[in-house]
Amino acid sequence: MTRITGGLIDRSQTLNFTFDGKRYAGHPGDTLASALLANGVRLMGRSFKYHRPRGVVAAGSEEPNALVTVGSGARATPNTRATVVELFDGLQATSQNRWPSLAVDALGVNDLLSPFFAAGFYYKTFMWPKSFWEKLYEPIIRRAAGLGKLPMQADPDAYDKGYLHCDLLVIGGGAAGLAAALTAARAGAQVVLADEDFRLGGRLLAESHALDDAPPTDWLAGVTAELRSLPNLRILTRTTVFGAYDHGIYGAVEHVSDHLAEPGGRVRQTLWRITAKRSLLAAGAIERHIPFANNDRPGVMLAGAMRAYANRWAVTPQARDGDRVAIFANNDDGHRTALDLMARGVPIFGVIDPREDAPRLGECQLFAGGQVTGTQGRLGLSSIRIAHQGRNDWYECAALGVSGGWNPNLHLAAHHRGRPVWDDALQAFVPGPDGPPGLCAIGAAAGQGTTAAALASGAKGAQDALRDLGIAASLPDLPVAEDHSAPPAPIWHVPGPGRAWVDFQNDVTVKDIALAHRENMRSVEHMKRWTTLGMATDQGKTANVTALAVMAELTGQSIPQTGTTVFRPPYTPVAISALSGGDPGTHFKPTRLTPTHHWAAERGAVFIESGQWMRAQYYPRPGETHWRQSVDREAQAVRAGVGICDVTTLGKIDVQGGDAAAFLDRLYANTMSTLKVGRVRYGLMLREDGFVYDDGTCARLAQDHFVVTTTTANAGLVYRNMEFARQGLWPDLDVQIISTTDAWAQIAVAGPKSRALLERVVDDADLSNEAFPFMACDTLTVCGGLRARLFRISFSGELAYELAVPARYGAALMDRLMAKGADLGVVPYGLEALNVLRIEKGHCTAAEVNGQTTAQMLGLGRMVSQKKDALGVVLSRREGLVGERRALVGLMPADPATPLVGGAHLFTAGAAQKTETDQGWITSVCYSPHLNSHIGLGFLENGADRLGEEITAANPLAGTDVTVRVVSPHFLDPEGGRLRD
Amino acid sequence: MTDLIPTTAFGTTTARTATHGALSMAEDVTTALASVALRRGADVPVPLGLPLPGPGGWAGADGAMAVCMGPDQWLILGADGAGGDFAADIAAAAPDCSVTEQTDGWVILDIRSKDDADGAPMAELLTRLVNLDPATLAPGRATRSQTGHLGIIALRLAPDRLLLLGLRSAAESLWQHLDGTLRRLAVPR
Amino acid sequence: MIIPHPLLGPRDSQEFTIMGDAKLLARPDGLADGAEAAFFDYLYLRDNPAGLHRELWYHEQGDRSWLVVTRDTLTHEILGAELASDVARRLAEGAA
Repeated sequence: MTRITGGLIDRSQTLNFTFDGKRYAGHPGDTLASALLANGVRLMGRSFKYHRPRGVVAAGSEEPNALVTVGSGARATPNTRATVVELFDGLQATSQNRWPSLAVDALGVNDLLSPFFAAGFYYKTFMWPKSFWEKLYEPIIRRAAGLGKLPMQADPDAYDKGYLHCDLLVIGGGAAGLAAALTAARAGAQVVLADEDFRLGGRLLAESHALDDAPPTDWLAGVTAELRSLPNLRILTRTTVFGAYDHGIYGAVEHVSDHLAEPGGRVRQTLWRITAKRSLLAAGAIERHIPFANNDRPGVMLAGAMRAYANRWAVTPQARDGDRVAIFANNDDGHRTALDLMARGVPIFGVIDPREDAPRLGECQLFAGGQVTGTQGRLGLSSIRIAHQGRNDWYECAALGVSGGWNPNLHLAAHHRGRPVWDDALQAFVPGPDGPPGLCAIGAAAGQGTTAAALASGAKGAQDALRDLGIAASLPDLPVAEDHSAPPAPIWHVPGPGRAWVDFQNDVTVKDIALAHRENMRSVEHMKRWTTLGMATDQGKTANVTALAVMAELTGQSIPQTGTTVFRPPYTPVAISALSGGDPGTHFKPTRLTPTHHWAAERGAVFIESGQWMRAQYYPRPGETHWRQSVDREAQAVRAGVGICDVTTLGKIDVQGGDAAAFLDRLYANTMSTLKVGRVRYGLMLREDGFVYDDGTCARLAQDHFVVTTTTANAGLVYRNMEFARQGLWPDLDVQIISTTDAWAQIAVAGPKSRALLERVVDDADLSNEAFPFMACDTLTVCGGLRARLFRISFSGELAYELAVPARYGAALMDRLMAKGADLGVVPYGLEALNVLRIEKGHCTAAEVNGQTTAQMLGLGRMVSQKKDALGVVLSRREGLVGERRALVGLMPADPATPLVGGAHLFTAGAAQKTETDQGWITSVCYSPHLNSHIGLGFLENGADRLGEEITAANPLAGTDVTVRVVSPHFLDPEGGRLRD
Repeated sequence: MTDLIPTTAFGTTTARTATHGALSMAEDVTTALASVALRRGADVPVPLGLPLPGPGGWAGADGAMAVCMGPDQWLILGADGAGGDFAADIAAAAPDCSVTEQTDGWVILDIRSKDDADGAPMAELLTRLVNLDPATLAPGRATRSQTGHLGIIALRLAPDRLLLLGLRSAAESLWQHLDGTLRRLAVPR
Repeated sequence: MIIPHPLLGPRDSQEFTIMGDAKLLARPDGLADGAEAAFFDYLYLRDNPAGLHRELWYHEQGDRSWLVVTRDTLTHEILGAELASDVARRLAEGAA
């Protein structure tokens, strides 16, 4: 065991967990990584490409190596960084990308074949033959190189979505973030403080130096308590701000119950969309390593991480007590790890510092001007080679901390194409001026890396941000903290033979970068893609700057001349489940139900989606085994007697005002102002480009009051266009509109006995043909005083009405109509029968009005008024549209039993079937129980002149040709006598 | 008086309710709705004695309320008026206006936080429902917005009370969204 | 994005739909001579500049106002928003 004294763990409780099935124990406060280290487990994964044994490198979310699968069954979450997994009792973790086991990985052979897997290997090797890529190469590569596997089961947990609005968002709860949050919250601003860790404090949790002569945890406890007491501050721990978006919008994931063995009804994660007037990036800094030969062995880690494990989690990376530890650092900060470890009784073998003038900061061996040039050890570090004063010797060493300086963690500042700028004094990129507007970096993220500077820049940053918003904030008293800082020496890697890893997660070495350079990948963007450096799930957080430095060395340019780092959302991977929010499955997309939905469901109706709506498709009766039987029966019942059908889904828009009629004249291609009160007119709406947009009816209830209907599909769009016309085109017309689609249950009552049925439900209204003729409308009462609207309109071609009552009475009205019409043979009919009835009459729906059809094609050319200006009228007269020869026709197969197929293309009989000879297409098909034949509607070249001709309907997908006869689209009652009776 | 029996927006004869933790919601089936839009040159009316509020506001009290729907357009809510001809009543009270019956266009859900004077559960609920600055729905304010991909009219009647109006046809989807949200919020963190 | 609604204050663009160039407000007179050519220009020759752009946004999940929003398409910076009806009235008065 390598657990030492101290640390921020609760030793009074023991948490049991497993890794690859083996049982271990840890404590509350541990991460999976710290608990594994405490148990002497250094080998945590296999590398992506070469299957090299890997251990933990970092102590935070930048971890490239220790990717594990957490949980089992449906909850298994692959590619989780062990460094951010909060330990809980019963946690199960599994290593990835190895077979049969982590210690014995057969694909470790890839490492021996590494000369064949160099940069650009795939591009060069798997080019020929082309067809092999998908079938052979890719599947093999996918199996050999990769990450964890998804469980392929539905996610059993709940998620939530939320929205926060604040004056100031503080991203990161370390020294700078806490100082900022305190400053802003005390000033009364609305503040959100988000930190990815489960404990506030950031780097302060990992350091030993004092704040006001006391441990940093004392100050943290006081500040945290005060912050939690302020109602204008929301603290989100375990929350990763993953992206910066336009206008101060940030995406964040709160890990609500990921740290619990069983969510117990809690959501697992909450996706927050945070809108902040100002934001401060206090994400700290990420230490960089110094590539040298075989620097990826378990036991080699970042010096700052090593310090964090010792101070916060009381563990050392030693495999056994007494193992010697060394530090390789090009800066003073690295030495501090040696000092902290020595203070905790860990034997330090020495500090290797490439600087000839390296300071001697503690009582241990110092290799000033030295470099680490190699490592040994089978599944973990056992010795290192040090080049020093002309010698290059091996030394026994079980753990090595490496520090190449710190990179400000500017990830979010680089979203929005924010370009970091190089700071020569710091030897690092810092956030540039063109990052997300309103975002400002503070603390180590801004290069203010000492505790004293971080605290001061945090408080000042909050004060400045609030001043922009007109909120005065005073600076809080800040504790006295260490303020020593020295930039690292510009030593970026150790040259020499052997592979020196730059990007651990994607297995990219210094040699790969050099090879890319030799192969003329001179732009950093080309180098990235050729080597895949920085393109793993960690986006190269620990690799990119080092890679730039290596490239700069190769090109002889400076680092900023070579390029810069680019980061994109998300900062760390985000689960798709979190993005999908709290309404999974069928509730993800809202559905709309008609007022008679439950009524229909009780009668066994089969439903069909129609846009957002669910509509009754047909009502099967006992004994009916095929939908056609139900549909044929319903359609026949309508033509023989009477049927009722819910048509509420058609859009209904109330149009009122002194200029309502003039307004409709400009919206519809035909004229509405001449419509008399109490009458309905068919309305044809064009798009401004002259094609047909929508159709419906306009009913004039009063001189200044119309109710217009739209198709189901276009209801929202027509309403939007009407608002545009009203507000944007003709703002001086006196017209007011509002949707009433949902307010009225509208029931079609169709069939020769519809009048007889309706006469039994209306109160004192004369429905005779004389009093209430075709295309009449009126407001009246039904069923003993219920207010209603009655329209004598017909989609079926029969004598028909549409009766509208307040939606809450829709179901009761259906019941009443069924009861009153029993002796008339009344049936409810669904969308399918409605479709049969309208096809038999040649009435159009969205299948015909599909955005490519003109009024002329529909046989409605004469409806387009030439005497007025209305939407689309001018361009409907343009060349190409006026010469349109395709026209709506009816089609009947030569053999009535042969079904037609919608979408089939029409050709002159015997003609070659090519684009040039294409004569049109079929739009709608059905079986007509009245004609005892399959029938269809379609558009046919010169269709109006070809009645009686036999042509071919070709379905090239199925390879079938059907001979069809061209007929009038009005299969039944072409004179329209029935609907006028 | 008709003998037809009305159904709720959920197809039942009794109003749907749910309680999860500190929050409860109930369908309001008795309130009547009518929209009022100003015609050109018309004076702003004072229907039922209601001063019509400006953008983002509502006015009135439990008996009758008015909420601003958009420029020169309001929705009037009349308690216990759903059985009558509310639009006709409002039309009489708002001459020179375009009045439209809206009663059955919407499902009305009354969401309350119990035993809680400071409205904390309600404030927390709002963070899950709407992407709005809390001031937009502070007590006394109202707005149209969306929740769960559905358009809504929201009135913050009191710190512990929120009235939500959604499309009647989408009542079931809205309910599922709200019920799930309340349920998740009720689990202690 | 956040749209500064002239009546309601800042609102998330989730509540809006967009229709592009605000030139659509300047609809030609369909009864004038040369209307067909004017409509062709109106409908098909719309701008989509890299930079400042006046565009139409509709507050569909809100108060149903059409707005003219001035936006820099390169940075997404929004410089202003006004009611389309106000813009349309100015157009009608010949003072676009």
